[in-house]
Amino acid sequence: MNNRLKVLRAERNWSQQDLAEQLGVSRQSVNAIETGKYDPSLPLAFRIAELFALSIEAIFQRD
Amino acid sequence: MSPRNPAFRSYQRRMALATVVYVAAIFAASTILHHRAAPSPEAIGVALVPGLAILFMIYAIARLLLELDDEYLRLLEVRKALFATALTLAGCSVWGVLEIFTAVPPLPVFWVFPLWAVGLAGGAMFNKATLGTGGCA
Repeated sequence: MNNRLKVLRAERNWSQQDLAEQLGVSRQSVNAIETGKYDPSLPLAFRIAELFALSIEAIFQRD
Repeated sequence: MSPRNPAFRSYQRRMALATVVYVAAIFAASTILHHRAAPSPEAIGVALVPGLAILFMIYAIARLLLELDDEYLRLLEVRKALFATALTLAGCSVWGVLEIFTAVPPLPVFWVFPLWAVGLAGGAMFNKATLGTGGCA
């Protein structure tokens, strides 16, 4: 699965740590999602989408 | 590792306590028990202590998995435990076959748990190599 997390984060000048704290997860989690090594669960995907005020499909796309 | 995560801090406290009890019990067994003596109720009592310490270590891992609210870190811990279990069971099975059918020296079952603990470290290295992050401890 591809995602736009890194781009969305950069647009807001947030570090991985900033984003991790807002999501309530570790920086390693954010890094793993951004680099495509880990696909988040549906609840975490919803939290990410709500934080960026976007739909899940606008952030995550199938390969 | 995420030392700021309270789940990891609790895990490290529990594991440190269990490790101290385990090492102390092994030391006590080596000084109290006589080599090759018939197993007495006292010997069984001494031998039960490291077993209980190991049960507490497994409990500490279970509590870590329950208390970790970060799903990715939880995945790393599960992968480490699976790696250690696979390494231990496969290694012991291979050695067991060699023990039965060849002249290799017997491996005391005492070493099964230390092998599993080494496997946890191997699991962290496997996580690091495949995902870029090792996980706790």
